[in-house]
Amino acid sequence: MNGILETLSGMKTGGRRLIGCFPLYPPLELLHSFGLTPITLWGMRDAVRDYGTGDRHVQNYACQVARALTGFVIDNGPSLFDALFMYNACDTLRNLPEIVHAGIRETGADLPIFRLHVPALSPDRTGAKDYLRDRLRLLMADLERFTGRPFSAKAFAESAALYAKQRSFCREIEALCTGGKMPFAAAAPLLERAHFMDVREHIALLEEAVTHHAGLPENGSGVRVLVSGIQAPPVDLLRVMDASGLTVAANDIATMARSYGTSPTGSDPLDYYAAFYFDHHPCTTILPAGDRRIKLLGQRVQEDGIRGVVFFGEKFCEYEYFEIPYLQETLNTRGVATLFLELGADDLANLMPLRTRIEAFAEIVRGDSV
Amino acid sequence: MPHETPTGGFKKTSSGKRLTGIIMNDYLQLHQRAAEGAFVVWIAIVVPAEIFAGFDNVVYAVPESHAAMSAGKGVGAVQCGKAEKAGYSSDLCSYARIDLGTAMDGGKDSPSFGMPRPHLLVSNNNNCSLLAKWFDVYHRVWGTPHFILDIPFCYEEQTPQDFAYIRGQFADLVRTIEGLSGQRFDEAKAREAVCLSGEALREWKRFTSLAQHRPSPITAFDSFVQMAPILTSRGTQQLADHYRALADETEEQMRQGVYPVPDERYRLLWDNIAPWHQLRKMSGRLASLGANITTASYTYCIGSLEGTFDMYAYDGGDPFAWLARLQNFSVCPHGMALRARAMRQAVERNGIDGVVFASNRSCKVYSLMQMDQMRFVRDELGIPAVMIDVDHADERKYSEEASFVRLEALLETIDAGRRGNGMNSGNPSI
Repeated sequence: MNGILETLSGMKTGGRRLIGCFPLYPPLELLHSFGLTPITLWGMRDAVRDYGTGDRHVQNYACQVARALTGFVIDNGPSLFDALFMYNACDTLRNLPEIVHAGIRETGADLPIFRLHVPALSPDRTGAKDYLRDRLRLLMADLERFTGRPFSAKAFAESAALYAKQRSFCREIEALCTGGKMPFAAAAPLLERAHFMDVREHIALLEEAVTHHAGLPENGSGVRVLVSGIQAPPVDLLRVMDASGLTVAANDIATMARSYGTSPTGSDPLDYYAAFYFDHHPCTTILPAGDRRIKLLGQRVQEDGIRGVVFFGEKFCEYEYFEIPYLQETLNTRGVATLFLELGADDLANLMPLRTRIEAFAEIVRGDSV
Repeated sequence: MPHETPTGGFKKTSSGKRLTGIIMNDYLQLHQRAAEGAFVVWIAIVVPAEIFAGFDNVVYAVPESHAAMSAGKGVGAVQCGKAEKAGYSSDLCSYARIDLGTAMDGGKDSPSFGMPRPHLLVSNNNNCSLLAKWFDVYHRVWGTPHFILDIPFCYEEQTPQDFAYIRGQFADLVRTIEGLSGQRFDEAKAREAVCLSGEALREWKRFTSLAQHRPSPITAFDSFVQMAPILTSRGTQQLADHYRALADETEEQMRQGVYPVPDERYRLLWDNIAPWHQLRKMSGRLASLGANITTASYTYCIGSLEGTFDMYAYDGGDPFAWLARLQNFSVCPHGMALRARAMRQAVERNGIDGVVFASNRSCKVYSLMQMDQMRFVRDELGIPAVMIDVDHADERKYSEEASFVRLEALLETIDAGRRGNGMNSGNPSI
């Protein structure tokens, strides 16, 4: 597969109008229905090796996602993207649009940035749904002006159907991992490509993988574990897990299960996104979803026969850090072993200490299963 | 609170002594009323506490304020250590770690013996969403209900839609407390509290505006210390009286020629939360260099709308409307343009020579625009700026020497500018 930069450049030169979206869960279907190709600017570890540009604007105690995004968009945004989109996903990301914009303008270029405030409330709270609907109407009006095309319910329904299909395939891929037919180390990069590809092309890739792996024999003899985190860990670490006798049977990763776990239906974008955001697959960044997350993890552990959970902590992601101690304690009480590993921009060059800890964890969990 | 220092800087005045009494009394009252059956609410600092005055028997505690006090009293690192031992990362906000450490250890080592356990947690996400995550810990461990106020970030001034949305949530909060406490809300009482807060903030503004004088009769450190009762005594006559006396006393000191840095050669602005564990040391050492941090965005924003440090007065109308409009008073929920506008106002009005950006590992929301703000200060305002690393409440993450190397370099740059070969002559910023 091509690197992110090559992929995006190819799409751009192919005539697509790309909109760079700040993570985590932008309204992809809506943007797509206006003829834009949304790209969710997750960590981009293969595209951003040098944090120099980002570090001119953002302190190095911001997470890798923020640092990479800032540098990548300032360096490449004007040549790749027609616009940017952000919503209030987290405290760090909400601070970035003006920083990124200022950085782009320093280069003599400019890019419009669309913003959306998603209520951090449960839907039963006064005004929550109406406020979201108002914000969405404004966003749609902005998109109409920007693209020069009116909103089309038909186009939206088609886009929503495409993303529903993509998410369905993603869940099938995860089911193949759960069933031991596909190693997670192979699945993770494929699932994460969702963020940097045209949705139709990604569906084709997923469909091919599902067809291929569905016919393979099960090979899930390892101890079943769940991995949690913001981004998938480097593939090298996932391979270490495989080699250590751990089978990743489920994930609670923001770039994966948390992204494809929600798939509303309907052609009214206002209702659609009320369902999308208020009933979203639990994520630490969705403030009212904290209690649901604990329940869901417990359910996955029980249903998938999970013996261990590996938390890949995104360095400096305080959202995750506030939840992990309680989650670990809760899981440990239920007899599930846990391991917490921290991954930051500066840790990726030397994975050996993390490998050692995974191997040690695997020995412990395997010992339990004997 | 810190004691008088022989090396200059802020000194403990009679207002300082009165402040100690107020804070002590506030915490005693809090514990006593809780023990007598009051409904206890823990709140984030910008949650409008005046609402609670509308109930007969609701008391509130402010974990952030308690954490700041703990850090000022030298027990911040001890409490942080307890939270870290329980698995909470040292990268988390030190206020949160202090609070979690205090709560987990039953108030041990706390200057106020901790805070009474809450019946309700009220967080908001405009200062930072992490308050919601932090309060969620208690929600899970204790089963305490958690009410979140969702306050949209201000890239521009607050919109009418945002205002209505916020106003509606306050009504929700009232209904929630009524339901949980069994008490009825009396708007007249809340209105009275809002009137008193408005009065107190007017006096607060009179106090902070004295920093315009040369030499300044106050330091930003005075404002750091004196902001405490805004958090614990909001909506009371006591608060209004205290700030009136504070402003009066400061004006009297001016008349008598008493200044914290008599040989004031450098007037600086501080951008970020106070370094609670360093107030005395930092102000004294700066004073010995002839430097006075006269102004701080952290405290001068209190009582103001986004993008300005001017007073937003209560007009006697709907008290919830005033609270809703002021809900974004602190700097954290402001976009870069608004921060820049307010900073320009403070720099020009208070005759600032240089800006100290305190890059605060415990407060990303305050800090993650500062690198661009530094360029703004240098390029647009034409004054030098420096960035130092701090943590507002965990002194283990602070290096006095590293900070002062940079602070002294800032003063040298100001001098160089005055000699005509400073940053305006092409020298880079620090």
